[in-house]
Amino acid sequence: MHDLTTKFRRTPAGLLRIVLFLVLGMVWMGVATQATYAQSSVRAPGNAVNLPDDQGSANTLGNVSDSEIWDAIRGGNPNAIEALTGPRPEGAVFNTTGQQWRMLREGVIRKYLGWFPLVVIGLLAVFYLLRGPMRITGGRSGKTIHRFTLNARVAHWFMAGVFIILGLTGLMILLGRPLIAPYLGLEANSILTSAAKEGHNLFGPLFIIALVWLFIKFVGSNFFHIRDLKWIFKFGGFFGGHVSSGRFNFGEKTWFWMVVLIGSVIAATGIVMLFPWLVEDVRWLQLSTILHAVGAVLLIGVLFGHIYVGTIGMEGSLDSMLKGEVDENWAKEHHDVWYEQMTGKSAKEDQS
Amino acid sequence: MSALQFIEGPLFYFAAAVFLLGAFWRVFGIIKIGRKKDISPPKGSAVGGFIKGNLRHFVPRGLFARRTWLHVLGGYSFHLGLFVLFFFGAFHIKFIDQYLGLSWQALPRWGFLIAAEIAFAGLIVLWVRRISDPVMRLITHKSDHIGTWLTFLVMLTGCFALQQSHDMLKLVHMLFVDIWLIYFPFGRLMHAFTFFLSRGNSGATYGRKGINL
Repeated sequence: MHDLTTKFRRTPAGLLRIVLFLVLGMVWMGVATQATYAQSSVRAPGNAVNLPDDQGSANTLGNVSDSEIWDAIRGGNPNAIEALTGPRPEGAVFNTTGQQWRMLREGVIRKYLGWFPLVVIGLLAVFYLLRGPMRITGGRSGKTIHRFTLNARVAHWFMAGVFIILGLTGLMILLGRPLIAPYLGLEANSILTSAAKEGHNLFGPLFIIALVWLFIKFVGSNFFHIRDLKWIFKFGGFFGGHVSSGRFNFGEKTWFWMVVLIGSVIAATGIVMLFPWLVEDVRWLQLSTILHAVGAVLLIGVLFGHIYVGTIGMEGSLDSMLKGEVDENWAKEHHDVWYEQMTGKSAKEDQS
Repeated sequence: MSALQFIEGPLFYFAAAVFLLGAFWRVFGIIKIGRKKDISPPKGSAVGGFIKGNLRHFVPRGLFARRTWLHVLGGYSFHLGLFVLFFFGAFHIKFIDQYLGLSWQALPRWGFLIAAEIAFAGLIVLWVRRISDPVMRLITHKSDHIGTWLTFLVMLTGCFALQQSHDMLKLVHMLFVDIWLIYFPFGRLMHAFTFFLSRGNSGATYGRKGINL
């Protein structure tokens, strides 16, 4: 671990190969998911026939339907948004939100959501190929400046560790059926999903602890500032040009608030799913599973960007979380306002 | 003989034998080295110092308490959590009963889960502190990483098998238990049996010199 940053600096080509390998692997998994869904389309059997109108109502090919009866049982139009948000309709025998939830989960979330992290990884790979790593202008000065306390670093890595375990187990629960079952079999998928579910449930509460800890340690420097507008207009300096920044720039602050806010939603919905008796209406559980999955995959996707900038994307970044110290030239270049606050020296005049 | 029967049977007996004999041999070896004869007149009790040295280390010194609170909290969380989940988990008591014929009251499932959460939190804090602190990195041996990760994997595979739905998950857990037992005497996991000798040695030295610990 001590030489990790050195290795990153010395072997970008090796890392690039690993990134490309991962991208190709994940694209293959995405294509495989689509293929699985394509195979499992529901259709009438080939030998299905329509009965004459006076011989029963179950018309296999659908020329005749009992929609009015079913509407009455459902208590109105099941596709109306009120069915999801309002009270159960008068006279309804059962609610139909379960079916809507299933279609949303199977037809949208499981089918498309997994592509988001892949797209992020793809964009990062392309960006890396075009732009390469952001080097420290003028190289390292050899002098360092303190950036993170040990407790802040431990809080960060604690969250990272818990999040990785939850991310992996969560993706296995969500995508195991379309991704693992067709290739390793239902038995293997059952074993892995059982393990993932237990692990996910056990580590879930630790995520809440990590979230509170992270919030307390980092919130002080993460309030937005008017100078952050410059960061936005200059795309964070990723395409050239200097961007003035305090201890944290706009991108870091946005990531922090994403983790806090989306993480809070994930935590709250996770509690609802872990203790389902807390809610009386099953629709809260359905809503929780949707928000939990969408929020988690969103964070996983953006996390790849965070990892990229923190490792191979920007020279010197990893030092801050491994050693707590950063090179002075790195600080002047990326966080000049913070550098001046910390040292009392001008970042421009003192550029070495 | 199935794979699970092998891992819970012959392999487990072998691993337990390596664990017990290896740990005994290491402790015996350390005691056999003995201490260099101190010809200076004693100003205090070495035995008292040995006991005091052991007890004193359970509480952080005031001077360092602020700097080490996280380490102390992580250490206690992990070790106490592990103790509770190992000795009071229903599956573990059943396992011990199967081999030794000893049994006692198990924790309810929710208690077991809370103990596991505390143990996991402590272990993760201890390890991430190890990689985040430059001084800790310098004094860390690869055996520390191996021991930590083996312990983590034993706990993780154990929690994966909680549902008791598949023998395969129990097999993986028991396999890691066997590996952990075999590795134990050869690495720094041995501190479980040697910490009292280390603390006691320092305590006895200071105690004999009359230094108030």
